[in-house]
Amino acid sequence: MFKPKIEINRALYDLLEKRAEEKGYSSAQEYATHVLEAAVADAEPSATEEEIRERLKGLGYLK
Amino acid sequence: MLTLAYIGPGAGFAAMGSFMILFAALALGLLTLFSLPFRLLFLLFRQRAKGRFRRCVIVGFDGLDPRRAAALMDAGRLPHLAGLRATGTFMPLATTCPPISPVAWSTFATGVNPGKHGIFDFLNRDPRTCLPELSSARITPKGAELLRKSRPFWHLLGERGVFATILRVPVTFPPERFRGLCLTAMCTPDIRGTQGEFTVFQTDPPAGATTGGRRIQVTVTGAPGARRCVQSALPGPTLRGQERSLPLSVTWKAEPGLRGQGSGFRVQEQLEAELHVAGRTVRLRPGMFSPWVKLTFRAGFTRVDAIARFLLIGTEPGFKLYVTPLNIDPERPALPISWPASYSVYLAKRFGPFATVGLAEDTWALTEGVLDDVAFLRQAHDIHAEREAMFLNALRLTRRGLCACVFDLTDRVQHTFMRTAEHPAPAIDDAYERCDATLGRVMKRLGPRDLLFVLSDHGFTSFRRGVNLNAWLRENGYLALKPDAGGEEYLLNADWSRTRAYSFGLAGLYLNLAGREAQGIVPRGETQALKDEIAERLRALVEPATGETVVHAVYDAAATYTGPYVDRAPDLIVGWRSGYRHSWETAVGRTDGPVLADNPGKWCGDHCVDRAEVPGVLFCNRPLAFPDRGPHIADVAPTVLEVWQVPLPGYLDGAAWKVK
Repeated sequence: MFKPKIEINRALYDLLEKRAEEKGYSSAQEYATHVLEAAVADAEPSATEEEIRERLKGLGYLK
Repeated sequence: MLTLAYIGPGAGFAAMGSFMILFAALALGLLTLFSLPFRLLFLLFRQRAKGRFRRCVIVGFDGLDPRRAAALMDAGRLPHLAGLRATGTFMPLATTCPPISPVAWSTFATGVNPGKHGIFDFLNRDPRTCLPELSSARITPKGAELLRKSRPFWHLLGERGVFATILRVPVTFPPERFRGLCLTAMCTPDIRGTQGEFTVFQTDPPAGATTGGRRIQVTVTGAPGARRCVQSALPGPTLRGQERSLPLSVTWKAEPGLRGQGSGFRVQEQLEAELHVAGRTVRLRPGMFSPWVKLTFRAGFTRVDAIARFLLIGTEPGFKLYVTPLNIDPERPALPISWPASYSVYLAKRFGPFATVGLAEDTWALTEGVLDDVAFLRQAHDIHAEREAMFLNALRLTRRGLCACVFDLTDRVQHTFMRTAEHPAPAIDDAYERCDATLGRVMKRLGPRDLLFVLSDHGFTSFRRGVNLNAWLRENGYLALKPDAGGEEYLLNADWSRTRAYSFGLAGLYLNLAGREAQGIVPRGETQALKDEIAERLRALVEPATGETVVHAVYDAAATYTGPYVDRAPDLIVGWRSGYRHSWETAVGRTDGPVLADNPGKWCGDHCVDRAEVPGVLFCNRPLAFPDRGPHIADVAPTVLEVWQVPLPGYLDGAAWKVK
């Protein structure tokens, strides 16, 4: 329900906000999340073939 | 005189509890009263967007084609849309590349190109495994995550005090927190975690592999002339590591000389059956859908609530019972399907149960011959009616703000009835008329200070021929197979050490890039040359029999999109000519079969072609002035923000239209 928060200093936040705008993100929050996702991408477990098959079942566009 | 008998501790707690509730209610009442002047001052001075319009109403008809709409307006069959054309605006609406619903509606919601919202197709692929995944939401045992990035414009409106009600706009699952109400749509799963898996109970043995449903063989008991019975179990969700099911039985009296086979609605009076499931008894008539039935699956203290509709297809000579996908019960949602969570509960209490799964119209049951045309259309029109009731209610309750709803009837019916684009089936024209009638009821509720947009995300064309892009890549030496390769899905037969390009989904193809794909072999320095080479050869692909070209254009993602998520896009997007589409085999990563093949199935219409071939449509109750390039679906967000004078963020790609 309540999302965890990470504290950063104001100067870093201001830099993030400026860079987010330059790169086409909608907010510093979105930019920071993208950077962090990329940093931990290797640690995230991949879905198995069977899990994928189940999740996509019923999507009309795919047989 | 009051005499008290023995009062146990339970009663004491109950009495204390009542006093506590009374005390809390009194305290809350006093607090509300004393804080009233401060709250009024806050409301008076807070930053609140102003605008010349009281409400902005957006009606989305998924897949409404401007050419078909124009033809039907000219024939006098769409009077309300024709009225908008006469006094306001009617234009083709440029859409996204590719013109696929999750991509286009995400651009509608955010006002940015796909490179900034990260949705490029129904599927994405995980470069670590080269396996596909749903592009819009990730559903795991820990919960659901929305993968669409950037911000919907109704969030920005909410920050400026403009309330929004958003009903069934695709790619809103799981719902996001904002100042307004939202009911999720496309990609909302059923309670089994699939995108909508039906169940069929039948006496015939299941024949061959099926895609969209689960077939369970049953036996009929009871002597001829006596009451007959089928007993089985309805499979539900997996809870605590085990699939849970509910006992289910159907009983009926077979009268001599009466047929029980329900083809459409012709023999509905002839046989009545009783369905017993989850402690409920439901009357069934062949060919008639039951009302929504509540189903509760339990595992210890864990419970998951679902709803489903049942259709007795027939009892003689074979028994067949169809069950819709097990929709999340909006009154007790197992996963969040609305913001706030109580909104779906309110809607369910106000209107009764309603379809919640993303693609609720069961196109697979039709494609696999479980539902006939009449039953499928009945289901699709029933869902349309549910949504219309909710939308009209939202309009009634919204005095100021945004009201938006997307209806899917036109999309689903065109997918399944558009055998040729030139001579569409009557069911398609009926669906357009149904949408026009809905629009008429919406327009009755509008005043002079209401701004109305009617729009679609793409148009439609026929899907005559499938192109197996993986087979083409294989034949042209870009995709290599293992020595023992067969007809495996998900490119499990690919020899990645010799594969330079591959395809999944419906949009384009990916390079097997070194440093990005886990087993990538294409060096970064050779990327552009390889893309140019493949694009040139694809443009030369022709029908062997006629010599006509198959590809309208090939788009380089790096040149087509801007934004932080461009690297998630297929490297090349293929814009097929009308009549062609990624084949069913390509979509799931199969490499076998011919490059070009007929598409004889029931799913005979599509829009996964070049975006120039299937523009969407835009109507407005006011004349509009557009940029020189004409209107684009990305323009809706800045236009609505400007209606309430909300400053436009710099990341938006769309341009605001001038409302006259």
